[in-house]
Amino acid sequence: MNNPRNDKWRHRLLRWLVMFVFAFLALSAGYLQLIEGNEYFDRAERNVIRYIITYPPRGEVFDRNGEYLIQNRICYDLMVIPRETSKAGLDTLRLSQITGVSVSSLKSAFAKARKNGKIASPLAKYLTVEAKLKLDEWNLQGFYTVPRTVRQYPRNIGGNLLGSLREVSKEFLDNKNEDGYYIAGDYIGEQGIESAYEEELRGEKGRIRRNIYADHATTDVVEMEAEEGKDLVCTIDARLQAFAEELMAGKVGSVVAIEPSTGEILVMASSPTFDPNELVIGRERGNNYMRLLNEPRRPLYNRAVTSSQPPGSTFKLLNGLIGLQEGVLSPHNRYSCNKGYRAGGVKMGCHEHRSPLDLDYAIATSCNAYFANVFRNILENKKYKSPKEGYEAWRNYAESFGFGTQLGVDILGERKGVVKHRDYYDKIYRRSWNALTVLSVSIGQGEIQSTSLQLANFAATIANRGYYYTPHIVKAIEGQDSIDAKYRTPHYTPVDKRHFETIIKGMWRGVNRDGTCQLAKLEGYDVCGKTGTAQNPLGDDHSTFISFAPRNNPKIAIAVYVEHGVWGATAAVPIASLIEEMYLTDTIRRPWLIEHVKNLELDYYKAYDRHKKRK
Amino acid sequence: MTGIRRENEMSLFQGVDWGTVILYLVITLVGLAAVFSASYVEDAEDFFSFKHFYVKHMMWLGISYVIALVILLLDRSLWHKWAYIICLVTLAIVLLTFTPLGKVVNGARAWLGVGGFTLQPMEIAKVGVSLAVARMMSKYEFTVQRFSDMVKVLALLFVPFCIAVLQNDTGSGVVFCSFLFMFYREGLDNWICVPAIFFVALLILSFLLTPGVLLLSLIFIFTFSAGMLMRDRWKVCVKYVAVLMFVSTMLFLLLSFVAPSKFDFYDCLLYTTMVSMIGVVVYAYRANIRKLYFLVLIFFVSVICLPTSDMMFRHLRAHQQDRIRTFLGLHEDRDLLYNVTQSKIAIGSGGFAGQGYLDGVMVRYGRVPERHTDFIFCTIGEEFGFIGVVVLFVLLAMLILRIMRMGDRQLETFGRVYCYCVASILFFHCFINIGMTMGVVPIMGIPLPLVSYGGSSLLGFTMLIFIAIALDASPIKSQSSLLKW
Repeated sequence: MNNPRNDKWRHRLLRWLVMFVFAFLALSAGYLQLIEGNEYFDRAERNVIRYIITYPPRGEVFDRNGEYLIQNRICYDLMVIPRETSKAGLDTLRLSQITGVSVSSLKSAFAKARKNGKIASPLAKYLTVEAKLKLDEWNLQGFYTVPRTVRQYPRNIGGNLLGSLREVSKEFLDNKNEDGYYIAGDYIGEQGIESAYEEELRGEKGRIRRNIYADHATTDVVEMEAEEGKDLVCTIDARLQAFAEELMAGKVGSVVAIEPSTGEILVMASSPTFDPNELVIGRERGNNYMRLLNEPRRPLYNRAVTSSQPPGSTFKLLNGLIGLQEGVLSPHNRYSCNKGYRAGGVKMGCHEHRSPLDLDYAIATSCNAYFANVFRNILENKKYKSPKEGYEAWRNYAESFGFGTQLGVDILGERKGVVKHRDYYDKIYRRSWNALTVLSVSIGQGEIQSTSLQLANFAATIANRGYYYTPHIVKAIEGQDSIDAKYRTPHYTPVDKRHFETIIKGMWRGVNRDGTCQLAKLEGYDVCGKTGTAQNPLGDDHSTFISFAPRNNPKIAIAVYVEHGVWGATAAVPIASLIEEMYLTDTIRRPWLIEHVKNLELDYYKAYDRHKKRK
Repeated sequence: MTGIRRENEMSLFQGVDWGTVILYLVITLVGLAAVFSASYVEDAEDFFSFKHFYVKHMMWLGISYVIALVILLLDRSLWHKWAYIICLVTLAIVLLTFTPLGKVVNGARAWLGVGGFTLQPMEIAKVGVSLAVARMMSKYEFTVQRFSDMVKVLALLFVPFCIAVLQNDTGSGVVFCSFLFMFYREGLDNWICVPAIFFVALLILSFLLTPGVLLLSLIFIFTFSAGMLMRDRWKVCVKYVAVLMFVSTMLFLLLSFVAPSKFDFYDCLLYTTMVSMIGVVVYAYRANIRKLYFLVLIFFVSVICLPTSDMMFRHLRAHQQDRIRTFLGLHEDRDLLYNVTQSKIAIGSGGFAGQGYLDGVMVRYGRVPERHTDFIFCTIGEEFGFIGVVVLFVLLAMLILRIMRMGDRQLETFGRVYCYCVASILFFHCFINIGMTMGVVPIMGIPLPLVSYGGSSLLGFTMLIFIAIALDASPIKSQSSLLKW
């Protein structure tokens, strides 16, 4: 102790102390870096890097003639950096006058922006070009505008066909955002083309990595370029669509017109409809959307694909075709009709016409009794062990025409319609049923429903004499040589071409000689058609009509369905006829018919309007 | 004789501890790399402009290397002879900071502005103070056990400490507390070191205790240490505590009558204890147990400095109070918490292997405050990860241990004490600096030796280390050369 030089113990202890302290520091570092390292790494990233999403312009949509259906419009967001604004205060009144935003919401937005005064926050959104120019003129310190695109629909048509954009919902983000593409605040197509072709239209978002330095200076690195959305060319004929919507105004129902040789949908009008501009993202969208949502006639609903209704007498054509193909019907078969059909306990009424009658006239005049006989013969064919098997065979035919299945149109939400399976009847009738039990199907009533699209497709199939192309709404996609192969392959039905000719003869007669739909006659264009009148419990009968023209080399096949339109000939026939006339001749020579259609007064009280809220 | 090497030495660098020199070079180069990473600007056109910290640091490195060389070339007896003069001169330079030449940086008036450069003379003064302490302690018959001898040394250390506190640069002052390390090596009694260490620990942690508990624990530790010092007189200690308690209770009861609720028991105990110290001194004198003086001294320093009486704490500057409070989690100073949090994020984000040189995002984007100076360790932690950190620790620990070994093999007390002074200062700097970046020690603005940017600090440590190397290499190591003095 007296000679510190030789005090081995002490300097050894100090040496251990030094090593211990460094070991302690190493342990601390190890704890920070090895155990909590990942967490700190994330925090470090968040500290200095912000990822900024860049949005590409969404693809635009044209009609088949190159006319804009959906267009991008530039509008402006007013941004403010509160730190850079002049201290003198803000003339909110003038700002309010220019932007059209209320003073109080401007003030609250400004107060919100102040919380993070160094960065830019939006003060008012979706300003017009005029407002932007006025603001530029004013040149307020700390304020600037950023451009952004919103949708606009120059024709104001096809609200439920074209669809709209909305901010992606939380529910979607939670459940359906599988590839994680969308983030809160993104826009996504809702309904119609906007939704069905979302992936093509939206393009790909870009990403900018923004490095933030301590002094708030930033550098940007483009990590991913935004990829512009693709433009679409629609099969829709905008002029025809507008005309169809005009004719359907005030009625509930839908019109679908198809070009038979390609399956391209020329018109898909659902009524009531709305102006798609109402749902453009902006201040008014929410209110408009709620108003449309609450309307009892459901304008947001694209009835052409989502409403399945009994096809009525139009369905008789299918039974005729099946009967002919099955060999249980020949064009010369005659059945008598004494204001209806009676067999066993079943009674089916019919209107007054000549009797007995052959297939031609039965189609033209839409005889219920005739097709009840045909249907019964199909099911009670000796070929099959029982009418149940006969029904199965019948159902397969129906399905080959696209009834009871989804056609696969490129619009979301397509309904299958209803063509019951044998099992269904087995179950509800406890296996004890026969052709008479399901007889109503023969005339398209009862357990049978189809969409207007299916009916139009049926008309196109007849027009093509036995095959159809899957109906589709998009003709071309920018950057793609052709549309999906499934829209370019014909679907053949098992019915021979010659049987179609037989049926078409009846359809032609119905329009051009002595049938139910003589109103549809167009000189020089051999229009073929079949009306339908479907009974229903909610009011007048539904009025429906399927047609194609001309008879040889058809250019257009059309189905019109007007709910509670009384007779097939009352509402559906003139509407279809006018659309055909417009499409085939480019002019209307029967303005009185337009007047007739527009002045039709249909009664929707029981079906819809009684649900209207009283104000 | 004066300052010029004598001709008869065999080699210019005879006896130089090359291991230490290499360690020094490696650490300074690691420092340069870290400073470069912390301060370079991407795509800067003026890569070699003097506005960049790394360019200035390179210059300071050059100067330091030259000075190191000069120190090795100088006569190695110079330091012993001129120790007091060097100390006086350097402290005088420190005092210049109070003249208009002084500059205030980060609230501390510890800087001198000289022709575009700023110097922190206290960093150089550490050399002078270390030399003076070594000279004082190498005096014939000096022993750290003797109170009268130690008071002189403590008085010497008190001077730079006070200057540092006046400069509002307490961190540099507290560095001198590290000399306890050296005193222990020189044979300071264990039971004096225990209360001293306890004092330093309380200084940091006392905020967690109430004044009463603090005082009681002080009394307990000091009485226990006294008992251990006196060995066979435990009874005296027990009696002392009993009397203390009794008297203070009586005093409390009496005062409660005289001036109710004006005094609490803690006050009474404090006053009684302070008065009793007279008795302790008298007893120590009578019984000839001089070591007790140390305890009395440390006790008074404790009472003054510790927040037991809130005395010292009140005298700390607001930012120092904040720093201590922040460390203890008592006070949420956002700026200081920000420093610690950012620094921890930077170090933590390094992970095992680091983010790669020049790729540490926190440092790159300036998210760590003082990243090139006091928080340079973040750069290493972030960019080289745990591996880099451990390598740096090994280098620093080896340097310190080597300097301690150089001290141990000195035959002359002067060299040994000096080497241990250097080791103490290095050790303290490393511990506090690295500890504060990781949030285990309160923030004190002191640099990481040889790594942090800063000319004065680099110069100061270079001088400290190379004087130690020079002393180690000096022929005084052999007994015969003592005769030359």
